[in-house]
Amino acid sequence: MRRSDLGEFEEIVLLAVAALSPGAYSVVIAEELEKETGQAVSTGAVHAALQRLEQKGYLSSQLGEATQERGGRRKRLFSVTTFGGKILNDARVVRNNLWDRIAPGELSKMGLNISEL
Amino acid sequence: MTALPPRWLDKLATKICAPHLREELLGDLHERYALRHKRSGARKAKLFYAREVLGLLRPSVVRRKPSSHGKVSLLNPEILSSYFKIGSRVLLKNRGYSLIHITGLAIGLWACMMVATVVIDSLSYDRQWSRTDDIYRIVGINDRGSSLLERSASSPAPLAQELMRNYPEVEACSSIETELMRFRLRPQDSDAVEASILTADSTIKQILDFKLVAGSFEVPTDNRWKLLITRSFASRIFPGQNPVGRTIYQAPNFGSEASPYEITGLIEDLPYNSQFRADVIQLKSVKHQQLVGNDYIMFTNNYLLLKRGTDVSKFTGKVNQWYAGVMKNNRNRFEFQPLKDVYLHSDFAEGQKVRASAKTIYIFAGVAFLLLFIACVNFINLSIAKAAARVKEAGVRKLLSGSRSQLVIQLLTETMLLFGISICIASLSYVFSLQSVENFLGHKLAMTFTSNLPMTAAALLIAFLTAILTGLYPAFVVSGSKPGHMLQGKFNSSLGQNGLRKTLVVAQFSISVIVLVATIVVRQQLDLMKNKEPGYDKNNLMGIEQTYWNGKGEAFKNELQRIPGVVRSSLSMWMPADGAGHMQREVKDPANPNQRLRVWYVAGDVDLPATLGLKLLKGRTFSDRFADAVNTDSLQKESFEKFENAQKNQNSLMTATAAKMLGITQLDVQNENAHSVPVGVVGDFHNESFYEPMKPTLILAQKSPEYAGMLIRIQPGTEIQVGTAIRKLWKQFFPEKSLRISNIEDKLAKQYEAESKLHQLFMFFSGLTMFLSALGIFGLVVQAAEQRAKEVGIRKVLGASVSGIIALLSTDFVKMVLIAIAIASPLAWFALERWLEHYPYRTTLSWWIFAATGLATLAVTIFTVSFQAIRAAMADPVRSLRNE
Repeated sequence: MRRSDLGEFEEIVLLAVAALSPGAYSVVIAEELEKETGQAVSTGAVHAALQRLEQKGYLSSQLGEATQERGGRRKRLFSVTTFGGKILNDARVVRNNLWDRIAPGELSKMGLNISEL
Repeated sequence: MTALPPRWLDKLATKICAPHLREELLGDLHERYALRHKRSGARKAKLFYAREVLGLLRPSVVRRKPSSHGKVSLLNPEILSSYFKIGSRVLLKNRGYSLIHITGLAIGLWACMMVATVVIDSLSYDRQWSRTDDIYRIVGINDRGSSLLERSASSPAPLAQELMRNYPEVEACSSIETELMRFRLRPQDSDAVEASILTADSTIKQILDFKLVAGSFEVPTDNRWKLLITRSFASRIFPGQNPVGRTIYQAPNFGSEASPYEITGLIEDLPYNSQFRADVIQLKSVKHQQLVGNDYIMFTNNYLLLKRGTDVSKFTGKVNQWYAGVMKNNRNRFEFQPLKDVYLHSDFAEGQKVRASAKTIYIFAGVAFLLLFIACVNFINLSIAKAAARVKEAGVRKLLSGSRSQLVIQLLTETMLLFGISICIASLSYVFSLQSVENFLGHKLAMTFTSNLPMTAAALLIAFLTAILTGLYPAFVVSGSKPGHMLQGKFNSSLGQNGLRKTLVVAQFSISVIVLVATIVVRQQLDLMKNKEPGYDKNNLMGIEQTYWNGKGEAFKNELQRIPGVVRSSLSMWMPADGAGHMQREVKDPANPNQRLRVWYVAGDVDLPATLGLKLLKGRTFSDRFADAVNTDSLQKESFEKFENAQKNQNSLMTATAAKMLGITQLDVQNENAHSVPVGVVGDFHNESFYEPMKPTLILAQKSPEYAGMLIRIQPGTEIQVGTAIRKLWKQFFPEKSLRISNIEDKLAKQYEAESKLHQLFMFFSGLTMFLSALGIFGLVVQAAEQRAKEVGIRKVLGASVSGIIALLSTDFVKMVLIAIAIASPLAWFALERWLEHYPYRTTLSWWIFAATGLATLAVTIFTVSFQAIRAAMADPVRSLRNE
């Protein structure tokens, strides 16, 4: 697997889709990310990331229903594909392995409390 | 009701977003806006929305989805040929319009090409020498106090050498003079070949690069004259022979002997676009002269070659400082004029024959570009007017899935076709009119579009760009509206191009009005200068050009007096239109001690005042009874001092202005300012052209001057017979000399050739601009009549009169032209006031000029418009109302 295929923002968006499934589309993802990070997230950025992820085959999409706020326009709903799930898992495994290898003494030196993790 | 974001931002977002993404993306944006609106209010939501729209500017959003049916290249040859086929069909179908387009464009392009040629040619002068950038001419500045600065192209002859000795910056120097000479192949030949001859120091080789073909640059050591001749001149006088080593003879202008010139070298032709164009070069050895001394100082045109990279302004400062130290009581300064400027910026250089006025070139260029502007405006206006008819076609094409770019290219192709035809016509007329333009300018054009390939390429490129720029706007207008509107014929209401069209028409007519006013004013100024009385009687006056009389002047005059028809004659050292006098002095201005006045002296024999027909106001005129006439020739030969002393006590006549400006009230008393003894006051006369204000002038009497011309007063209507008689007499007296005789009135008129040329130019251009403007308005009114045919029909059915309908169709245009007149008149007034400023005798810009121009323009408009309007008004209403 080539790690460079998944950027940091992409990974977060991919995770958000998985978390918000089955009703994940740009607006809720952007709002969710805003809530989590406390920073403004533009729809365009999220949309671009979703498009890229779909192109790479990590996501699939179909058009959903229209609402009044949307001016009668339909939304595009996303769900994680099996391949996308595998990629997410791979990324998680890599991270977890690395975290596990950090010696407890080092963690406290960095000012991190192990009990909170 | 949900909150909606600002509409303009929405529109912007729609524009940015690719069509296939619009539904989901804009929906998302709106939904988030609604959320924000609920959460934090309208202001914050709007701000955030604006950021969101900006955030859309990313390739993944902007990039359009490629068309699903295979993309066809726009430059596919089949498609291109279809563009051409349809384009040419459209042009053929609308023959009238095409003709108007082509006429207008061809004229505009032709004028532009012609003027571009003239401008490029003028700018190309003296750029071809290898050291062009380092060559300078010394320009003398005579400072006569406050604002009286006088430039002259000549400077003291020894100055250049002196500078070369003192300053390491000067690499080489030479004096350069050009004149016309006549050569004979054998001393006794009667016919002579005229050649322009360039006389320079032998150091000229370092400054200008002459290419020697045969022979050598031999510098004469004794008094024998040596020449270098150019290839073309050699082939003219010695066709097919080696000229080196041969001798030719100068036809004498002054002496009676034909002096021999040995040809020592053959050189390549000098470039025509140089002020040093000459057939023959005469080198002289460098004479070492002192700048400071008791001798007369000779003046000449000095050229310097400076070291590369010399700071000229610093150098100028150094030289002037040094010169002020060397010369006491000196009012002269020097400037160094770059060789490249000599051709165009030498209004002050009187003797310089090869020169042009930058101002005339600018006017020329300005008017031509305006002409092209008018032509392009016509094109745009007519195309838009015609667009209404094309809109339906465009609509159908769009419905059949033609893309906008295809439509634009289709319309551009038509423009290109029109431009192409116009360029062909313009080029043809260019080739054929080159000769007459050269005649008008009085010199050949060295750089033309036909002789210079890079220039041709550049011209084609520029024409191509103009075509695209001109065609682009109408093309976008036609292709831009919605197919639905197009098919409903909603074109006119949906487009706000009327304002632009009107503005363009107004601009067009403003230009025409300005050019027309300029034509009239230039004409008036020319008339004023030509017809103003110079103070002497210029009619029935003939003149023999100045020459050496070989001591036979008096005798010739006595014989001349016997010719029937000759009233009076006078040997004169001043000829009208040939300089201001034979001598000048500078004296302190009695009215303003900080300024110096220039006093001109006009000398002739005692009959001069009577021959000129000057009016005596006070005192007496010259007469043989008094010792008025002095033989200054012999005095001058003896010594300068004696001459000055004699002149101080010589009797003189002064003009009324001289008396006033020099403050002389007493006659018959020696006067310091007049440097003579005034014995009478005559009426003012203009010894110079009317470019100069009246200056103080004194008349001296000269006993049998050796170098002089002759003025001959004749009885009215006897010019031809007197002319033949004089020629016969001349042959008896001076068989070896050619006689140059002229009519003074013609010569005076010739002084104003610049204005005369300008007038011809404006005549031509004002005709063209007016014609083009009328052509444009004609096209528009045809269009208006077509578009409003139904309206006209209904009005007629309801009982409108023919005149009412004509008024209906013409008012718009008349209004526009009235606005144009109102805008153009003050502009023209301002510009012409500026132009007239430097003429001491100027015509007044009276109101009638503007009134007449306005009326003429209106008349042309009404004539053009009513031509079509009457036809529309007379048409049978049934025809326009029948088809639906």
